[in-house]
Amino acid sequence: MFRPAGFAWLLAREGRVLWRGSILVRTHKYVLAPVLITGLMFQGVALALAAQIVRHPLPPGQMVLVANLNLFFFFWLMLSRAMTAAIDVLYGRGDVDFLLASPIPPGRVLAVRMLGVAGSVAAPWVLLGGVLANALAVYGQLWALAIYPMLLAEALVVAALAFALVVLLAGWTGPKRARRAGHMLALVAGVFIFALGQAPRFMSSAALGRFWQALLPVGDARGLRYVFANGLLGHPWALALSAGFSGAVFWLVWAALGGRFASGAIIAAAYRPGGSAVRQGGAFRASPFAAVLMKNLRLLTRFPGVVTQTVYRSLTLVPVVMILAGRLRVGGGVEVVAPLLVFLTGQLALFFISVMVGSDESPELAASAPVAPALRRRGALAAAGYATLVLMALPVIGVLARDAALLADLLPGMAGALASNLALGLRLPIPLVRADFGKAQTGTVLGLILGVGVSSAWSFAVWLLVAPHALGWLLPG
Amino acid sequence: MSEALRVRGLSKSFARPVIAGLDLSIAPGEFYALLGPNGAGKTTTLRMIAGLMRPDAGSVCVFGRDVLADPLGAKAIMAWLPDEPLLYDRLSPMEYLEFVAGLWRVEPALAKSRAEELLETLGLWAHRFERCEGFSRGMKQKTVLAGALIHEPRFLLLDEPFTGLDAASTRLVKEILQARVRAGAAVILTTHILDTAERLAARIGIIAGGRLLAEGDLAALQRQAGVAHGSLEDVFLQLTAS
Repeated sequence: MFRPAGFAWLLAREGRVLWRGSILVRTHKYVLAPVLITGLMFQGVALALAAQIVRHPLPPGQMVLVANLNLFFFFWLMLSRAMTAAIDVLYGRGDVDFLLASPIPPGRVLAVRMLGVAGSVAAPWVLLGGVLANALAVYGQLWALAIYPMLLAEALVVAALAFALVVLLAGWTGPKRARRAGHMLALVAGVFIFALGQAPRFMSSAALGRFWQALLPVGDARGLRYVFANGLLGHPWALALSAGFSGAVFWLVWAALGGRFASGAIIAAAYRPGGSAVRQGGAFRASPFAAVLMKNLRLLTRFPGVVTQTVYRSLTLVPVVMILAGRLRVGGGVEVVAPLLVFLTGQLALFFISVMVGSDESPELAASAPVAPALRRRGALAAAGYATLVLMALPVIGVLARDAALLADLLPGMAGALASNLALGLRLPIPLVRADFGKAQTGTVLGLILGVGVSSAWSFAVWLLVAPHALGWLLPG
Repeated sequence: MSEALRVRGLSKSFARPVIAGLDLSIAPGEFYALLGPNGAGKTTTLRMIAGLMRPDAGSVCVFGRDVLADPLGAKAIMAWLPDEPLLYDRLSPMEYLEFVAGLWRVEPALAKSRAEELLETLGLWAHRFERCEGFSRGMKQKTVLAGALIHEPRFLLLDEPFTGLDAASTRLVKEILQARVRAGAAVILTTHILDTAERLAARIGIIAGGRLLAEGDLAALQRQAGVAHGSLEDVFLQLTAS
């Protein structure tokens, strides 16, 4: 056992709290099976990918570029998550005052929180990147295993910057807006990565070539300016330097924030008496269903991160719009948008119904009212369905204008994806918000996996309807 | 006139019996306090009366309406205020009252005027369009109290209603509740503040281990406890000591 109140003891407790708040734990008793199956599938794909990478090695300059790009994306994706996590551990849990009142040195508490955030934001990427690194190591490319220490080193820098940013923003505008800033950062990073992936569709090959050329290392690819990329590529000197730099940044931020944290100034700075104002209400209705629906729509639009999460899921609309506008040709033609829209309908429905399930803070209020027990369920389904249909209306009008005949297959598919994902999300909502301290998650990864599966199934069915010969190439002759 | 509340043989067990054959009667226009040590079964009793939990045995009637046979009819004339505020942090008090009034089908114009009056009376008028998430515990408690009163219930079930309220708000809420009782409503409340129970309630019931140990006004309780001239605290401690 660890010594009480020691650094390791505190870190172990922090790890336990973060683990219990993670989406994998306390979600569903059968969640580990699909997660394991998905992991094995990923490992299989990674082995095939690794075989190709080994067979077609890139020149050193291009390897540095690839490493730099990975580090860049990891950085921004981790930073947005780290900001949200920092807000949770500083302001969300509500236990900082309690710990500051204990005999544990405050600097130790802060260091443990920062390390906990670093570990939690690195974990998913370590698991994801580790799959490819393991596969490369199987083929004798042991340098790839450097991803483990490099991601942890990068997470230290990210966590330190996130804490500094959050303290600054929370003191200035409050934790809620700081959280929104984290969500916006995630959105911008996501859209940028998506746009970069789609670049061949909207940039000429010459312009794209010039773009990548400009990003290639200038001069010696093993130079100090590419130290992080070389660290990721497994060069020991670069690995040591990167780790040293990360540790230094982490220590600097910890030292800079330590005094204010110990005095309670960081927590106190975020205190905002009173709630934020909302648009004027006052439209009373004598209908319980209308009241529930209105309440649900309000909670939906005020859900933290609803805009960023919706935009994330709606990125599918970018190729849809480009296809409908004639700027992009994929496969047979315009009919490709039908399965895309069906998939998006399912994903939006699952998201919105999960928000509704997670937002119902006081279900017993409606239970104590003179209304049928099914009203709450119907209200949640109606609000989530309505929000989905509102968002999908515009692309459907686009299809109507471009190829109205497509609607005969599209609309039933959308209805199926909508209904099945609403029903699924009501029972197995996806994890959306970190559980309050000491409380269980409302969402489950199983819902997420099944939701993607159900949406894909409807999408595939509609694809076969709009393009009957889609799988013709599989048939002999 | 029919009783406001008639509970007969109410029983509920979880791992062990929580309520065992409880009988209660409350008249219209009566303020009744249900006292008991922690884990005595007070909240479970109120939840069963409110129709939120089905008893294993027994019956519950509110103003002649059977809670088990006609739960919606009984709920229509009841309000339940739990010890933790049933609130939505991302709604404002006005929006919360819109929601509650809708659930109880209060006519819109009437609901609006009652909401405005309640928010004004409870000192929430300046905050009526602010989200509840930044409210203090007392402000949240006053918001849910407004919700409990907006449909003018004939029977109020209040579980620790004064938690988090300051002295002025506590007095205000007491006055509001007493006014409701004078208008013919019945109130049953649980509290650990014995002074409040003694001053407010016409009758007090003391339960422990899921059974009603004693019931009546202070004089009756003193007789039942065998504590002549003792305070309610003395009586309570004497009755629940075993």
